[in-house]
Amino acid sequence: MVFRKDLGELFASRAFWLTLLAIGPLVGQAFIQAVDTYAEVSGGALPQGLSPLDGVVIPSLGAYELAIMLLFPFVAIRMISAERMSGAWKLMVQWPVTNAGHVLSKLCALTVAWLVALIPFGIAMVLWHCYGGHLYAAEMVSVMLGYLLRFLFTAAISMAAASLVPGAASAAVVVLAFTIGTWAIDFIAAGRGGWLQSLASYTPAAASRTFERGLLRLDVVLVLLIVACVALFITARYLRIGSIPAALAAVIAGAVLALGASHVRASADLSEDRRNSFPIADERALRTIRQPLTISVWLAAEDPRMNDFANVLAKLRRTMRDVNVRYPLEGRSGLFEAYGQIEYRLGGRVARNRSTTEEIVLETIYGIAGVPVPPHSDSAYTGYPLVARPAGAALIFYLLWPVTVSLVWMVSRRNRQTG
Amino acid sequence: MISVRHLTVIRNRRRILDDVSFDVRPGEILGVIGPNGAGKTTLFECVAGLQPIDSGTIDRGDGLFYVPDGIKPWPDQTVRWTLDLFARMYARAPEGQARAPVLHMDRLLEQRVSSLSKGETKRLNIALGLMTPHPVLFLDEPFDGLDLKQVRATMEVLRNVRRTLVLSINQLRDAARVCDRLLLLNEGRLVASGTPAELGDIEEAFLALT
Repeated sequence: MVFRKDLGELFASRAFWLTLLAIGPLVGQAFIQAVDTYAEVSGGALPQGLSPLDGVVIPSLGAYELAIMLLFPFVAIRMISAERMSGAWKLMVQWPVTNAGHVLSKLCALTVAWLVALIPFGIAMVLWHCYGGHLYAAEMVSVMLGYLLRFLFTAAISMAAASLVPGAASAAVVVLAFTIGTWAIDFIAAGRGGWLQSLASYTPAAASRTFERGLLRLDVVLVLLIVACVALFITARYLRIGSIPAALAAVIAGAVLALGASHVRASADLSEDRRNSFPIADERALRTIRQPLTISVWLAAEDPRMNDFANVLAKLRRTMRDVNVRYPLEGRSGLFEAYGQIEYRLGGRVARNRSTTEEIVLETIYGIAGVPVPPHSDSAYTGYPLVARPAGAALIFYLLWPVTVSLVWMVSRRNRQTG
Repeated sequence: MISVRHLTVIRNRRRILDDVSFDVRPGEILGVIGPNGAGKTTLFECVAGLQPIDSGTIDRGDGLFYVPDGIKPWPDQTVRWTLDLFARMYARAPEGQARAPVLHMDRLLEQRVSSLSKGETKRLNIALGLMTPHPVLFLDEPFDGLDLKQVRATMEVLRNVRRTLVLSINQLRDAARVCDRLLLLNEGRLVASGTPAELGDIEEAFLALT
């Protein structure tokens, strides 16, 4: 009953229809460009290892990155603030429905909106399949799970802001400030160690990047779910009578739970090319090393080598039990003799070099651990090059989608007016 | 039926309600009158559980439904959608819809709520309140925005609902005409109570006590 009402309110919302109108051409533009670029690279000299995940799927989802940050919060905020502003919530909270029921109903309605908004992406993937393109199911599951969690996170934060702050505009400012705050954490934490880097790995953008690499990390899933649950709890509490102590208690309890969840190490590499994992022989060899490994990285955050090395470190953390990474240059500037150096300490033995490549890093670790280097094996992943033109995509995304959405919008308005 | 004891509400160090106690008796129409800012709406919202209280007790008996003043619920939807929503919510004979003709709502069914006038919105809100099954209805300013004919028609409807009603009313003559008993609230305190006959000239009593 309440869900039907919330769905009715959602379809009466201009923000929802405008988001739908905008999302089609945005996805279309990204998809057409991605298919063209993929075709160019596929027809070039080195098409081996070309992955549709990086080449087509992730670029096509770029529009949803924009939608989740700038469009969807307005739809979520409106679900709460419209009823608060009109006074309808004063009637609703007296219904035989719990506050949690109201909040869950709104979340379900928003999930419907999100699924409807994903239709253009679905069309893009069907088109890609029709062109002869390859899609790997496990990778798609990882990517879609990442976006679902990101949607839940954004919806919950937006609803909490709308219930805490009077007025949709103020709530939108709060959500935007929150988003910019997470960007700032991402930016500041790049290349730093410690708690700030740990925190940055759970920002929505960082979480999306993890899932987009086909990496399913249980700690990221749990932290995002905990934050979303805390935000939904606050929304439910404030729907009737606001209570600052209860909200603070929820935030503290959520922070403690999230801290505990951040220590969960379980993860699964769902990527087809195993990009988040070392070769199986190396994984076996690394798992025989029981002593803690400490790595000191003398590189600045903006150094491109740092980016390469971060990928190696992520694989090491997934494989070895105890890996500690230090960044001695953190917060320091100037010229250092040791700049570029990477130091490895394991069981009292030390090795230093300046290489960030995976093979050298592994050889260095094997060297100080006294573990024989496993035989090298070439990657079995050959990639899926495809020279295809995005036939029919422009027609669907630039014409048929906007026309269909406009027609459905008009019909739904007319149905509402005629009961 | 409803019992309020020593209700005190403090906002920003100001006592909005100060030690207010009263009972609502079964079947009566109780009017709460008082000047603007006397605390009538705060009293209703506290009794309905929409605002926190600082001290005192509220026994809500078998339940109540509160219809606030100045709301325009679900403005993008039609009157029919809104009435249907309440009818489905309580899964009962839509009493409010049955009273729609009396409240002159029948010709407004296809109108969007946002397009309703103040008086039309008021009648819609009363109709929504009448669709609830609660034995006690709290209506905040039910006659505000209605013209004389509509006030009379609405009074007639309220007298015939056979439910306990608590009305917050600004118009003293309307209050005396429709209510069985009156509470006079001033600066958050209950300064007088009684039947209209007991209070005598209601306007004189109001001026003397406020």
